[in-house]
Amino acid sequence: MHYPGETPRWRRYLNVIRREASADVDDELRFHFESRIEELVSQGMDAAAAREQAVREFGDVGAVRAGLVDIGDRVARKRRRSELLFDLLRDVGYAIRTLRRTPAVAVGILLTLALGVGANAAMFTLLDAIFLRQPAGVVQPDGVHRVWMLRHFSTGIQYSTVATYVQLEAIRGAVGNRAQMTVYRIPESMRVGTGELAAQAQVSYVGDKYFEVLGVRPSIGRLFSPEENRVDAQIPVVVISEAYWKRVYDGSPEALGQTITIAGAKYTIIGVAANDFTGVDLNAVDAWLPISLGSSTRPGQLPWWKNKRVNGLTMLSRASAGANERELEQRMTTVLRHPDVAMVLSDTGTTAQFGGLIATNGPGQKSKEEQIAVRLVGVSLIVLIIACANVVNLLLARSVRRRREIAVRLALGVSKSRLIRLLLAESAVISVLAAIIAVVVAYCGGSLLRTLLLPQIHWANGPLDWRVIGLALVTAIGAGLIAGLIPAVQSASPELTGALKIGTGSETVQHSRLRASLVVAQSALSVLLLVGAMLFVKSLSNVQSLDLGYDAASTVIASVRFDGGSRDSTVAARIPELADRLRAVRGVDGVAMISVRPMSDISFMTLFGESDSIKVPGFFPLVTGVSRGFFATAGLRILRGEDFPARGSATPPSFIVNQQMAKTLWPGLDPIGQCLRFGARNAPCFRVSAVVENAHLAVIEKDDPPQYYVSFDNLPDSAKWIKPYYVALRVPPEQYAAVAKEIRSNIRAVFPEGIPTTTRLSETIDPQYRPYRLGAYLFSGLGVLALLVAVVGIYSTVAYGVNQRIHEFGVRIALGASVKDVVSLVIGAGVRTVAVGIAVGIGLALIAGRLIATLLYGVAPRDPMVLATVSITLLLISVLAALAPAWRASRVDPVSALRAD
Amino acid sequence: MTTQPLDLLQGTLDVLVLRALSWGPMHGYAVARFIHQGSDGTFTVLDGALYTSLHRMEERGWVDAEWGTSEKGKRAKFYRLTTAGRRAVRTETDGWNDYVAAVARVMKAMPAPA
Repeated sequence: MHYPGETPRWRRYLNVIRREASADVDDELRFHFESRIEELVSQGMDAAAAREQAVREFGDVGAVRAGLVDIGDRVARKRRRSELLFDLLRDVGYAIRTLRRTPAVAVGILLTLALGVGANAAMFTLLDAIFLRQPAGVVQPDGVHRVWMLRHFSTGIQYSTVATYVQLEAIRGAVGNRAQMTVYRIPESMRVGTGELAAQAQVSYVGDKYFEVLGVRPSIGRLFSPEENRVDAQIPVVVISEAYWKRVYDGSPEALGQTITIAGAKYTIIGVAANDFTGVDLNAVDAWLPISLGSSTRPGQLPWWKNKRVNGLTMLSRASAGANERELEQRMTTVLRHPDVAMVLSDTGTTAQFGGLIATNGPGQKSKEEQIAVRLVGVSLIVLIIACANVVNLLLARSVRRRREIAVRLALGVSKSRLIRLLLAESAVISVLAAIIAVVVAYCGGSLLRTLLLPQIHWANGPLDWRVIGLALVTAIGAGLIAGLIPAVQSASPELTGALKIGTGSETVQHSRLRASLVVAQSALSVLLLVGAMLFVKSLSNVQSLDLGYDAASTVIASVRFDGGSRDSTVAARIPELADRLRAVRGVDGVAMISVRPMSDISFMTLFGESDSIKVPGFFPLVTGVSRGFFATAGLRILRGEDFPARGSATPPSFIVNQQMAKTLWPGLDPIGQCLRFGARNAPCFRVSAVVENAHLAVIEKDDPPQYYVSFDNLPDSAKWIKPYYVALRVPPEQYAAVAKEIRSNIRAVFPEGIPTTTRLSETIDPQYRPYRLGAYLFSGLGVLALLVAVVGIYSTVAYGVNQRIHEFGVRIALGASVKDVVSLVIGAGVRTVAVGIAVGIGLALIAGRLIATLLYGVAPRDPMVLATVSITLLLISVLAALAPAWRASRVDPVSALRAD
Repeated sequence: MTTQPLDLLQGTLDVLVLRALSWGPMHGYAVARFIHQGSDGTFTVLDGALYTSLHRMEERGWVDAEWGTSEKGKRAKFYRLTTAGRRAVRTETDGWNDYVAAVARVMKAMPAPA
């Protein structure tokens, strides 16, 4: 085998290939000619003739030489490549062997890096899906804009995309051919199929030119025709997405012409949208219906497309080539302010503003979940920084321990660059392994984040794609190599003589300073994250301990739905029968009928005082029809008076108010016996018979809403529309699972054609707790992760510090230092470093607190208790982390420690 | 050299060079002399083509090159067959023999009756 290292000449090839290859060829050819000429001369030829013949025999010397040099270059390059590969494999092999010698450290580094990178990649998957990725299947998505409307309210500026068809038509008239305009309804979840087992699908109603504006074509079949797109068409046709087509129809062309039942109505499939188009929102659309089917006209009113109040449409605009976007906005603003177009008269200050196709990037306020997602990116970056600091720390500690080995290698003549390469190979091996684990972490973490943050979203893609994998790989390998470079460069330049001495002199000052600052940084960032976590936890517990009035955990609402969505007019007539049946169910502690569901529906009535109109601005009390026993069932305390009387008892017309309503209408007076007239100024007087405690409409609200309750047995004439549509039940939480089945079978018995539903009030309001829970869970998770990583960092720093100073401790102990002295010396050094970090971290937390202030409830971001708790916790943990090495230091045997010199 | 030398078919030179090297490592000049003497002047090979052939085979991995000292004490580049080269000698020689046999058959053949 001809190995490059054996032939010094080849070494030179590595440097200046061209010159070396040509020099070699020249040497070889010179030898050829000398030999030939010499031979010819020895045969009696004179020198000149011999040279001439030699050249003749050779052919075109110049051309041959050039050809040979070319080949030589190629050979040299090939050899260089194989040499590099060979070295690389050898380095990697060496790295794996050394890593296996200290598996604990290797695994520590590996996991730290993998978790740090994985957490970031998982965050990226989420952010990418929410904020960065343009919807699939749209041609030139940058050219399509959402039309936002900026409105000025007394409460401030509000951005919204909610538009009317009247606005669309007006804008179309104003922009002419400068832009193509369309509208659609945000996708909603609808029942597809029939019966209780019907699946949910995302359905969106779209206006004419919708597919045209987005550049979507059919992959099979066709899209809506101009006839089907008419606002009054009502033709039951549907276009489905490719994903839905593949999922439900196995991608078969037979799907065309089949009918699907959506929310009870039948539609014929006419086509499939191409290129994985799933609409332009986060929710992936399964089926599109013509807009005429999604809007209804109330009897006696203008058709919906001419009604300024029928809204709920989202406007999209694609500017034509050469059109000026600012000018388009200007034109839109002008028509939107026209009194014939404005939704309400106060809308005349509306300003149109283009936003990107990605809804979350618009000028509007982001949801709490989205705000949390953005902040979590910062958090996960911090975790990554902590992780990198730790990797540096661990690698550094390892290299310190290997100082002698490295010094020996250097003394034996290994070049520094070779040594650095060798050390980098170790971090490369770790990085690659970490990258692989990180991708797995990213996948699991990404899925988890999606379900935690945005569970209602029907995602178009899985959490992992090549960009995320690429990002994870690049970050892990990049971070690993950068982290590996610092200790590699440091350890490749030790002072040979010092390191070679058996007595492991003292670590260089720079070394320990670098490691101490790493610990400071780690503990500072841990403090930051832990403060955030505690704030969120505190805020969550504040929200959870809010008194809603209702006993949400044990209040259950039973109701019935029908395919087609329309409310059966006989429901109210049959609800009393259902209520009677449910009273007999074991495990049900209370039953009452209600007209609207607590914390989800509202209804109002016009009110008049005893002798005058009510003159309280912004006073819109909510009315609920109830049967006797509702307050006990829902857990609302009656503060004064009594519940409605039993059915059939002859009592004067009465109603019940909540505290807030009593306080608002009759401040300082006794509410009992006060009179209100419902519906008309001359309606009979209803008198307050009781006052109940306030009940929330939402979990978190500024003021308690004023509410009042009327009895089904004694309704005002103008309130005959208040009917019992639901049954409220009181079921102890632990019995719910068993009782729910019984409840549903009773609903089925009363409504054989309906679909029974039972919902706990706590389930209804659960989504409102989510942002608070999320902040608490995710910040705590990442905070604890950061803390663990920091503890490893503190421990390793202290432990290696102790190893370095074994000699010193030996001397101290020999001179009479006690166990306590040594332990407190070591712990003191560790804690001092951490204390600096805590101070820095508190500073950071005070600055960063503003960023999460809006996401907290009932706790200030500078809560001193939180700051103190976190500081003390971290100090205690650092004491614990330093304890084991400190104990080891105190057990140093002075004889063996000193003998080492 | 009174007669016009025959041109060598492409690839034939490789066979000859491989054959030469199958006797042992030698430098380019020695290979040239070997072929020249072996052919007994029936055909001549331009020495330049020979070096090109040697270098190509080096690139292909059939021969290894190493600088050494010639019999007269000068620095010379020696070529030696590699394992792949020895394998090539066998297949190329077989191929050449088949080729020669085929040419011979054609030369002896009579035109078939039309």
